[in-house]
Amino acid sequence: MSDFIERSKFSCALGGALSTIAAIPKAVPIVHASGGCAAALSGTYNLSAGYRGVGYCGGNMIPTSNISQSHIVFGGESKLEGQIEATLKYLKGDIYIVVTGCQTEMIGDDAVGVAERYRDQNVIGVNTPGFLGTTLRGYDAVLSALVKNFIEKKEEKDPKTINLLGIVPGHDVFYRGNISHLKELLAKIGVKANTFFADGESVESIKQYGDASLTVVLSEAAGQITAKTFESVHKIPYVTTELPIGPKASERFLRLVAEKLGIDSALVDEVVAAETKYFYSYLERIVDVAADLDFQRYVVAITDSYYAYPLVDFVSEELGWIPHFVAINDLKDKDKQAAYTKKFENLTSKTKPAVIYEDKYGLVKKKLRASWPYNNNQKYYDALGPLYIIGSVVERNLATDYGAGFLTVAFPVSNRAVLNKGYAGFRGALSLVEDLLTNLVASR
Amino acid sequence: MAEKEVRQIAIYGKGGIGKSTTTQNLTAGLTELGKKVFVVGCDPKADSTRLLLGGLHQKTTLDTLREKGENVELDDIMKIGFNGTKCVESGGPEPGVGCAGRGIITAVGLLEQLGAFTEELDYVFYDVLGDVVCGGFAMPIREGKAKEIYIVASGEMMSLYAANNISKGIQKYALKGGVRLGGIICNSRRVDREEDLLRAFAKELNTQLIYFVPRDNIVQHAEIRRKTVIEYNPESAQADEYRGLAKAIDENKMFTIPTPMTQERLEEILVEYGLMDDLKDDYRI
Repeated sequence: MSDFIERSKFSCALGGALSTIAAIPKAVPIVHASGGCAAALSGTYNLSAGYRGVGYCGGNMIPTSNISQSHIVFGGESKLEGQIEATLKYLKGDIYIVVTGCQTEMIGDDAVGVAERYRDQNVIGVNTPGFLGTTLRGYDAVLSALVKNFIEKKEEKDPKTINLLGIVPGHDVFYRGNISHLKELLAKIGVKANTFFADGESVESIKQYGDASLTVVLSEAAGQITAKTFESVHKIPYVTTELPIGPKASERFLRLVAEKLGIDSALVDEVVAAETKYFYSYLERIVDVAADLDFQRYVVAITDSYYAYPLVDFVSEELGWIPHFVAINDLKDKDKQAAYTKKFENLTSKTKPAVIYEDKYGLVKKKLRASWPYNNNQKYYDALGPLYIIGSVVERNLATDYGAGFLTVAFPVSNRAVLNKGYAGFRGALSLVEDLLTNLVASR
Repeated sequence: MAEKEVRQIAIYGKGGIGKSTTTQNLTAGLTELGKKVFVVGCDPKADSTRLLLGGLHQKTTLDTLREKGENVELDDIMKIGFNGTKCVESGGPEPGVGCAGRGIITAVGLLEQLGAFTEELDYVFYDVLGDVVCGGFAMPIREGKAKEIYIVASGEMMSLYAANNISKGIQKYALKGGVRLGGIICNSRRVDREEDLLRAFAKELNTQLIYFVPRDNIVQHAEIRRKTVIEYNPESAQADEYRGLAKAIDENKMFTIPTPMTQERLEEILVEYGLMDDLKDDYRI
């Protein structure tokens, strides 16, 4: 049987590019594609990312060349030119990013070349045809173009500045909160984090990112290309780690950054001690009730690789839940999969989870069912439960089937409104505990 | 009486091999047999009907579509040429921009929509640009359009290489639809043992050499005067050759699914027929 798409959890590269641009302060996208691409993709990341909104110039405001059949046959560059000129005239922005759809790339329009003609008016172009890859590829395409063509080269590096990558706006529904938690945490050890999307960033500040000494990538699947571009264009080395959630992971994260930047470990000890104390001062309040009401759960995580290990690591290491089953939807490379699966060996839990790489809802459901013995009318049957599913809104019915606790963290999240909440770091993890347990007590 | 079927024919072949010249001269021959012919030029250069119209077609389908939007009428784009031949040029973008393949799809689609393929026609010829570089250039042989294909070739290696490649495309469409290869038309370049070579090549391809058109400068003379040979000099020997080609195609009953060969096999045939010992070191043309 031929392959098929079932309840996709990604859009295309153009979708990722638009979602990324929507998170850059005062950035205006100009889409060179047929009508519909811009609005549909922008809508996806507006509605299914916790209702994040359209940003400075998203949704129905996105300028698009709206090419039709005649432009396909005769070329659409002049239409794009007109659209750029009209956009510059009517829409104020600090940067204008021309992004492309499948159609114009198939016919070979040189959109980047057209954009280049308006370089003096802060216009840059990026090739982002949908077929380039998923959302994550679009994120990397836009950021790489900024790194290559917009960020100024600096010979002198600031030893305490890093670039933080891998947090994909919209695709990480909690990107604002996560960035904010990590930026504050790093500031406590004296490190400034360049994040592209944090509160207070501007196109002018992004231009200065070439002075960082290190790039930290929090994902295996996103940010790697951009990190390599930082390395080749700006001579900034990079390191890949996980999104830190909770005290243990956050401590590892801080120590890694401190070691790479040569920061005094005594300062890190101090910050870790204070933050850990803060975390447990809150967690202990709920320990009694968690034990009395038997809140321990078997955990099933159905997410992308960016969230899967960090979430399982946290609920397993800090809450003592039992990691049972993990389905990851974005790593296709066999070597990367093997390396990722190996991470779970680090869990101190005696029970290690089954880790599969599958993006189809039906097959995940089938494999989850197969992970537990069937009821063959034996005298005693130990059903799979109590279960807690951490996934996306796609898994809602699955959670209902198992009578499981359920929290949407990974994209798409259309059943929650998310403003500045985040789960990263010491303090974000407290929010995660709140949300996990709230679900268990919601009917009381 | 059985319903008459319009013979829809696509002409393919390496760029510059003489597809347009051959198609138009063949068309002139068919009109002399009393056939009603419609020629659809599927080349952005829009020069497939120049000899029949006595000059370049000024209103290509795509240009008209661009100017008039959807309100195009058949009379806007169809011109009548030699002996009542109906002529249309799809047209297309300037070299290096846009998508000529999509242009062919759009133009042929529009012709269908406008009812250009009427039942009183005997023949429709699609004269298609060079190699079949993308799906757009295969449009004329998709389901419901051309059922017959002729490949114009010569004894030159690259021409046979292109013909073999085109056959791969035909094979793909033939296996899922009704399109068949009617034969190879040799437009002679006076290569050694050209006819034998073409016969062997055609046999290997599971088809026939349907006609061998000899080289004659009169074709060039007629072209300069924007005429087919039959119009320019009906008494000439070359005019009779084109009449012969027209008759061969009109009477053709051999339609096959081609069996494209490997590059190695193609080279073997070339060595067998193309290189002769007694011509060693003699490069005179």
